[in-house]
Amino acid sequence: MMNSRMMIANIALVCGLLMVGTGCESWWGGDETSDTPGITDVPNVIGEDGKNITGTRFEDTCKKVEGITLAPVYFAFDSYALAPSETAKIEQVAKHLLANESHVLVVEGHCDARGSAEYNLALGENRAQAIRGHLVNLGVDGNRLQTRSFGSEKPAMAGSGEAVWKMNRRGEFALYQK
Amino acid sequence: MVLVLLLCGGVGSQVQGEPLQISIVKEGAKKDSVSLSGLRASGPNGQLFVQTLTRDLELSGWFKVSTGREGTITVVGGLLETGSGLQTSTKVTWPGKNFNWARNAASKAEVRQAAHTLADEMVKQIKNETGMASSRIVFINRRGSNNGDVYVCDADGGSMFQVTHDSAGVIGPLWGINRNDILYTSLKPGYPTLLRQTIGGSRRPLASFKGLNTGGAFSPDQRRIALILSYQGNAELYVLDLGTSKVTRMTTTPSGAESSPCWSPDGKSIAYVSDRDKAPHVYVVDVATRVSKRLTYKGSQNVNPSWSCKDKICYATLRNGIFQIAMMSPSGDGSSELISGQPEGSEDPSWAPNGRHIICSARNTLYILDSLGDPAVRLIQSSGNWRSPDWSK
Repeated sequence: MMNSRMMIANIALVCGLLMVGTGCESWWGGDETSDTPGITDVPNVIGEDGKNITGTRFEDTCKKVEGITLAPVYFAFDSYALAPSETAKIEQVAKHLLANESHVLVVEGHCDARGSAEYNLALGENRAQAIRGHLVNLGVDGNRLQTRSFGSEKPAMAGSGEAVWKMNRRGEFALYQK
Repeated sequence: MVLVLLLCGGVGSQVQGEPLQISIVKEGAKKDSVSLSGLRASGPNGQLFVQTLTRDLELSGWFKVSTGREGTITVVGGLLETGSGLQTSTKVTWPGKNFNWARNAASKAEVRQAAHTLADEMVKQIKNETGMASSRIVFINRRGSNNGDVYVCDADGGSMFQVTHDSAGVIGPLWGINRNDILYTSLKPGYPTLLRQTIGGSRRPLASFKGLNTGGAFSPDQRRIALILSYQGNAELYVLDLGTSKVTRMTTTPSGAESSPCWSPDGKSIAYVSDRDKAPHVYVVDVATRVSKRLTYKGSQNVNPSWSCKDKICYATLRNGIFQIAMMSPSGDGSSELISGQPEGSEDPSWAPNGRHIICSARNTLYILDSLGDPAVRLIQSSGNWRSPDWSK
């Protein structure tokens, strides 16, 4: 259900105007005390098919599953191709999802610290998408799989040099309870 | 920069066989001297005005401020302290021409703004060029892993202001429709969300769909936003029409990721980065036909394009393992020119509104480069990890 604030936001978007002043300071997590609403606070955007872009993020609606460790998948420099040595890890993830129907998964893509932060965000997304695509090929329902990229913002290991970078070019897995 | 050419052989009166040495000194644009000694500053606000104006005129690249009374251009007048502010009344004179300029400022911030306005007026009236003193720069302080915030400052590095207080991953801040409106990608909710914010005011998500939501470049007519989404399964370049709230997909690259969109000044094309040919390079798409063309071939990576009002694209190019700033024509003729005098490892270039200067990041701080050859100027003196600058247009 659309609340009044959201309607105001929609009007502002359509007019290309800025929201200034009262009524909207707290509706996105702008400070430590406010909560962080999810997708429902985003103004409606119509996709290429003429329908509103929809989709709820698992992070906003599902409870995180703790205590299950899924091994990270590593990538070569500037690449989102899945190395043959890494696919066995993805098969383990598929096995888990096929055996646990109530679990959904967010695949998280990461890059090493080199290069453009903007490009790395896209590269991280494509790494996550490559893993997601492989999981679909292994029989997992695509509706149970979402992606997120952290680009080079969240390295697994601090420092520089190939020994560090290769640990940071990775895909990670976050399970949620449907 | 000094280029030395050695030519052998009989040229003019040279002794045959002796090398002829020609030195071409590229020292930036010719500068007119300005005398500000006729500005009577009696108090702290007057001094702030003169200091700010002096630095603005020097940064403009067109003027050299002299310490004495001599100058091709003179600025004379009164600067009257009014408690917290300043009353200014000045006359700017140069050979055969002059203009009067007056402004009341109620605070220190307004005193600086007044000086910026006068500097831009002098650039416009005397040089017939766009000034940059009143423009602003938005950038990031990246403190560590998944920990950064958005800041803004004036074009002289002063009046720095922290916009966000998230201590979260933040990427690619860009100016929106005016100098109080910014867009950036935040990782604060745990995934990339494109936000739009009024400086010192409220913010709201602009795109927070499944997958990637980033980019956020306003078209020059302010009716469209170029952004990178992956709601259809792969990171692609889209244009959001603010009139209809509809997105149109500009690229179809199942084996490529797009990033860093920026518009041409006429709003007909978008330059962006794609790795569809393995490594990231700069491409340009015609918005009407959605046909893309690759622009860069030299260098192992070419990223972060910025398109100037004078129709040049600057970008960061990775050559021999080091990032440098280059510029090229958007026609795709393959020619590119490295910007002279830049610090090693310069990245993230963005054109100034004058189409001459470039802000970039290097050595954890921000520098202003000059495409006409003046030396680089360090903009931010305070310590931090300053990155991803975007210059307001």
